[in-house]
Amino acid sequence: MLEMNLKFPHWFSIVAYMLLILVPLWLALDRLIWVAGYDISSWLDSLGRNYISQGVIEFTILQAFFSTIATLVIGLPIAWQLGRYEWPLQSLIKSILTMPFVMPSIVAAIGFLNIIGREGLDIRSDEGTWFATLIIAHAWFNLSLVIRFCEPVLSTLDPMLEDQIRLLPAGRTSWGRIKNLWAPILLPSVAAAACMTFVFSFTSFALVRWITLGENTLESMMASIGSSAGIDGYMISRNEIILGASLIQFAVLLVSLWLMSWLQQKRQNLLPQASENVAKTANPTGWFVIIPAMVFALLPLVTILISSFRIRETTANGTSYSWGLDGWEYAFTATKSLPSAWDALLNSIGYASLTLIIALPLGWLLAQTIMLIETERPILARILDIATMLPFAVSSVMIGLGVMLGMIRIDAEFFYSFWPTPVIAHVMITTPFVVRIMLPALRSIDPSYEECARTLGVTKWNRFFQIKLPLLRGSILVATIFTLAMSMGEFGASWVVTRNSDWTTLPIMIDSLRSIPYNNSLTAPAASAVSSVLMLIAVTLFTWAEKFRPSRGGGMF
Amino acid sequence: MKSKGTFVSIVIFILMTSGCISERIENQKIDDGGIVINDYQWEDDGELTIVTYDVYGLTDEMLTEFTNQTGYEISLMKLDDAGSILDHLLQHKNVQTADLAIGLDNTYLQTALDNNVLWAHFADVPNISENTLIPYDGPYAVPFDHGYMCLNYDTEIVDGVNYTVPTNLWNLTEDAWNGKVALPSPETSSPGRAFMTATVDYFANDADNQTDWTDWWSAMSDNDAIITTGWSEAYETHYTGGYGEYTEGYVGDAHIVVSYCHSPGVESWYNGNWTKSAALDLPRAAFHQVEYAAAVQGGNLDAASAFIEYLLSEEVNLQMPTENFMYSVLEGTDLPEDSGYRYHSTVPSQPANVSSIEISNNMETWLSDWNKAMVDA
Repeated sequence: MLEMNLKFPHWFSIVAYMLLILVPLWLALDRLIWVAGYDISSWLDSLGRNYISQGVIEFTILQAFFSTIATLVIGLPIAWQLGRYEWPLQSLIKSILTMPFVMPSIVAAIGFLNIIGREGLDIRSDEGTWFATLIIAHAWFNLSLVIRFCEPVLSTLDPMLEDQIRLLPAGRTSWGRIKNLWAPILLPSVAAAACMTFVFSFTSFALVRWITLGENTLESMMASIGSSAGIDGYMISRNEIILGASLIQFAVLLVSLWLMSWLQQKRQNLLPQASENVAKTANPTGWFVIIPAMVFALLPLVTILISSFRIRETTANGTSYSWGLDGWEYAFTATKSLPSAWDALLNSIGYASLTLIIALPLGWLLAQTIMLIETERPILARILDIATMLPFAVSSVMIGLGVMLGMIRIDAEFFYSFWPTPVIAHVMITTPFVVRIMLPALRSIDPSYEECARTLGVTKWNRFFQIKLPLLRGSILVATIFTLAMSMGEFGASWVVTRNSDWTTLPIMIDSLRSIPYNNSLTAPAASAVSSVLMLIAVTLFTWAEKFRPSRGGGMF
Repeated sequence: MKSKGTFVSIVIFILMTSGCISERIENQKIDDGGIVINDYQWEDDGELTIVTYDVYGLTDEMLTEFTNQTGYEISLMKLDDAGSILDHLLQHKNVQTADLAIGLDNTYLQTALDNNVLWAHFADVPNISENTLIPYDGPYAVPFDHGYMCLNYDTEIVDGVNYTVPTNLWNLTEDAWNGKVALPSPETSSPGRAFMTATVDYFANDADNQTDWTDWWSAMSDNDAIITTGWSEAYETHYTGGYGEYTEGYVGDAHIVVSYCHSPGVESWYNGNWTKSAALDLPRAAFHQVEYAAAVQGGNLDAASAFIEYLLSEEVNLQMPTENFMYSVLEGTDLPEDSGYRYHSTVPSQPANVSSIEISNNMETWLSDWNKAMVDA
């Protein structure tokens, strides 16, 4: 049966994907182990033996835990309001609240630096606020996961169910209804959102790098010592640290993702309780939740735009600010040491397009493969499903290190002169998202369409173009836009890979601009200017995606 | 579906295979001087790639002038710091990614020499001061600027009333200094390495035989010293005595910091002859840092040598104090006297005395000892 369903493209997609993911990582691991020696306990011990890695695991877990809690605390009331009540301009409100998720992390970092900075709340100078800022920034970022996961369950639940439970003794009180109706129905969605938030916060890099100075996540620590990894006989402890850190990171993330995949399935089984005829009421008091939430979602972005025009002037009399385009001009003028933002923009667009050309068909084929073998070989399907999520567990910095060490091993001169090199990392990072978006869409197609068409003698090509493609159109567009947005905003892997090359991208340029010593007063506005560009691209892509998002069951994102 | 699969296969094939076809013009040169460069082979493609970090001195005007004079097109590969330059060179040994490295200092140079990642240049560079040739005097690297690393303190707070000016590094382990000292990490920063190296010498030569340098670092760690990734984070973000307080992201919790002994001079030069920062001149607690330009193995040696010559020319090197905030390496030069630059700069009376060979032989051990000292017991 299996042989009948799977054709060459499916096998090919699996093999190509495995090669693409495994070859760079295998080469990197091989290199690291060659330097550090194969001694797992020594790798793990090295984390506690070295100053740079001391306390990093604790910090990583702690901040990811609190970020998850904060995200749920902020996100659930919003999801409830959105899901249970009727709002004017509902889709606009929802778009604004879920937009932060497509914002590149470095843009979020710049936004929050502006909010807490001297011209904002002015709390940056108090180190005690850094941790809270990081947590809130992570909550801002992951808010949309809670909304996306929980809101559909809430908004489409058959109202009969709630009416019925009100009549039962167990549902007389609101606590009873929460306990006996909402909690069981929402739990898988909440847990899935929590899992995903935990994963994203656990691997946070740009935000940690810029907000909590002196503290590292496993991810940011690996990035900061990665440049001396894999060199024979040199800085051996760093190779051990990277191996130990990635082992722990991999284990934690793999467990989270396994949980996630299991929860997703539970969640899908619950969704059929949905009803199309839900009549919702308005809730004026709910504005006390919705308005602050929208301010929260928009504030970092607004401050980025404003601060790109604010120029600091320091004289003997003190510091004053004026308004002007100098920051933009500085960012968009090439110097010998810093390319112009135009170059970064062109590189980013080029990389994103190439990534799309590879990741979309690859992810689609993988999703189709999973679906085809799902009924016959559920365990195999699950394994493949997990394998496609592997890059989430490996994290972008590790992928970056893999590509960097891998290309040095294979043919460094070629890769350094080969402009599309960073695309390898971007494909590794975006393909899992394509799979996650396409899989539910493919599942939702009624197989009888295909069978009917076949019976009617419609050719294979026509079946594809006239039946499948139109049905999948929405999801393909969402996957397209998501891939473009992810690639344009990618930070961790690009930070590792492009540092040794001339090809800067927009996120990397923001980081470089912000790293220029601050006696140059254009550093901050120029970083904000490039962030504004990236932000506007993300908003445009996102708005476009919202138009095509399938109303329900359109996947996780 | 099949065509899609084929398409993907083609793209991946292109990505995965290495079809590098580069013509290599073989070039051989025999130096008429002492060093025979007969087995070097390189290609003079009219381009010069410089691997460096944020060296201020490499201004656009200065680089453009070089292109005008010699015709070489320059591209810069900017890394985070001197350590990243060494990492890059070691990582890409036998792979030609750069022609010239600018910014390795005397705490990193010997490792680069030991690993044969540099080539002897054939630039004509006379007139380099004796002092800057002490750490290394050979054909593989040329000093282009130098300075001393010192502790700097904020005189408005360390005024003898609120804080007493330290007379000994042990003072900094006292309660009063808890959380008030910013030190760049020797693991990730070259000023950090330089200062750590100085402490090795300082505590090897102090009167106390019971304790060594790692005990001091342990005590500093217990006293909540602020360990930063690099110099700029220590100086701009944490130090109260410098220009950081006018800038974004300023925290201002440290009143003493590792910087250059002439940093107060730079502050004064910027502020019209005023600074509240001063360098602390403790014997053997300062480190003489020399920064080098070095031709990279396998790179365009013609272009690298031409640039070294240009960098060491009076036209460029005399500008080091104002363009790069470091001393020029040319004989008989000093910092300018304008706006208190020289007045507020300190030349340490007795810098730490550690040779490059000692540094190279011991650095990994020192770093591992430093780590042991810094982590909680």
